[in-house]
Amino acid sequence: MSVEPQTQAASLSAVDYDDAIVKKFIAASMLFGVIGMTVGALIALQLAWWPANLGLEFTSFGRLRPLHTNAVIFAFTGNFIFAGIYYSMQRLLKTRLFSDALSNIHFYGWQAIILSAAITLPLGLTQGKEYAELIWPIDLSIAVIWVVFAINFFGTIAKRRVKHLYVAIWFYMSMVITIAVLHIVNNLSIPATLTRSYPIYAGMTDALVQWWYGHNAVGFLLTTPILGLMYYFLPKSVERPVFSYRLSIIHFWALIFLYIWAGPHHLLYSALPDWAQTLGMIFSIMLIAPSWGGMLNGLLTLRGAWDKLRTDPIVKFWVVAVTFYGMSTFEGPMMSIRVVNSLSHFTDWTIGHVHSGALGWVGMAAFATFYWLVPRLWNTKLHSQGLATAHFWLATVGIVLYVVAMWSSGITQGLMWRAIDDAGQLQFPSFVDTVLELMPFYWIRLVGGLMYLTGLLLACFNLLMTVKNAPAASAAAAK
Amino acid sequence: MSDRYTPDQILGHSDEADGIEEYDNRLPRWWVGLFLFCIAWSPAYAIHYHIVAERSQAGDYDAEMAAAAEKWPQISAEDAANMEITADVLAEGEAIYTTNCVACHAADMTGGIGPNLVDDEWIHGSTKAEITSTITNGVTEKGMPPWGPVLGPEKVAKVAAFVHSKNGT
Repeated sequence: MSVEPQTQAASLSAVDYDDAIVKKFIAASMLFGVIGMTVGALIALQLAWWPANLGLEFTSFGRLRPLHTNAVIFAFTGNFIFAGIYYSMQRLLKTRLFSDALSNIHFYGWQAIILSAAITLPLGLTQGKEYAELIWPIDLSIAVIWVVFAINFFGTIAKRRVKHLYVAIWFYMSMVITIAVLHIVNNLSIPATLTRSYPIYAGMTDALVQWWYGHNAVGFLLTTPILGLMYYFLPKSVERPVFSYRLSIIHFWALIFLYIWAGPHHLLYSALPDWAQTLGMIFSIMLIAPSWGGMLNGLLTLRGAWDKLRTDPIVKFWVVAVTFYGMSTFEGPMMSIRVVNSLSHFTDWTIGHVHSGALGWVGMAAFATFYWLVPRLWNTKLHSQGLATAHFWLATVGIVLYVVAMWSSGITQGLMWRAIDDAGQLQFPSFVDTVLELMPFYWIRLVGGLMYLTGLLLACFNLLMTVKNAPAASAAAAK
Repeated sequence: MSDRYTPDQILGHSDEADGIEEYDNRLPRWWVGLFLFCIAWSPAYAIHYHIVAERSQAGDYDAEMAAAAEKWPQISAEDAANMEITADVLAEGEAIYTTNCVACHAADMTGGIGPNLVDDEWIHGSTKAEITSTITNGVTEKGMPPWGPVLGPEKVAKVAAFVHSKNGT
């Protein structure tokens, strides 16, 4: 603390950041992104054309759907978050990560967990809880690896060489703590065999704990860490000051306080007591403004840099990401209103909603981050701006097709289920009649998904070429 | 206070944020308004729903069912069983059959997924009462769904009369 300013400056510039770990996480994120989204396209095809189930239990929709969701959430997004956090926190805290050993245990441990998920889920080994399907030995490994990450994370904060913690770090912290609590509490169970266990909760309690977990996994894995990354990579990309420090603090605390109570909105019109359903609904409504605080701070940071929207694909990706964040965080609270939910519940509308969040917000933020990060990590320029722009348009049009198809499908489905004829009987008593009506939407959804996947493949090629063409000296310097 | 506020003032933390500057701009007024409105609306909704309007999920269901019962009075199972079988009833029964039954029992009633209905062989009883019961309650272990809750006693009676009338043809 009492170091002379000049010496301090000298020592700061000499910080040897660990960028090798960041590169590994980026590579893993892209690889599992391709796998997760390919499986997603396959199960989209299965819904439109059943022979794509291939007549095998291992490749049937029920087995592959959790593989798709786990791969996209925990492998693609998880590795993206770890890459972004490890890169930005070292710079924000002006120190190397706490422990190289822990960083590597975190990386290889996480990939081993993903591989074990990719084996067990097609085999049908599951706990049957959405987004928490993995069986208890894998759950235990996740808890251990998460603690490794937490020690590495807080250890780095402890040895930081700045006093003030930038807002991004607060968002990361909320993820590290909350995901640990959610994961452990929701997966408490008594093992019966190596692959089977019984949850310690029963009935409605089990459902409520599950959706407290499910809702906040979305909140604290797909929302807060990505907002943190936005607060670092967006102002870095556009070289503009963040619009409002005050807004960032207020929307952060409001968001994490309100988010955690909204889980019961997944259980509207169930056996959950009415008061708990109301609680889930009103906390969702109160979440609109805190969520929009993030969108506002992102979009208003672009003031004075909107000209870059025309030329810089990274800015394009950020604008669409933040806009989809704002849209889906408005749609979510609307769907939690009782009367809307009575139409939307169990329909494809929900699928459309989660994909506008996952493809629109998380995916586009990941691509913006990687296009900015990879050239810097390898000390070179992006291989092709044109390909990145093509990726942007494919992805954007793909999301719009996907989401509009699912809105149409979901609302059609909801209206057909509740339609009553003149005699007071169900107009479509046969479920199959409602499914046949949705087929065109399922094909449109597949087209949208394939466009998004094609864009991702372009990104892989573009980033690989960027790395390949990087000057050898810098590659060696970056180890 | 407002006259002393100048927007876009740099906070000066950038040396501790990897060079990222931050303004300390005020919260947008409409955003604060939206937040406060949602916070005020939420308890108001909860109080209205539970205390003022005394609504509940079960109560809403009962009210909807009562309204439906008034709009579409159902004849009792007994009255349905004693219904006079007229040509009109058989025609309505045929329409109900075409909508709901052909998928499994075929348009010519010779069966497919479900058994043949015109060969004078009955697995679950041949009287009209027994056929009515089979349609109403289904034979779920063989894949025949219970149609009572879907069609109601009147339609079940009509389609049973139609099926019965076609027996042995």
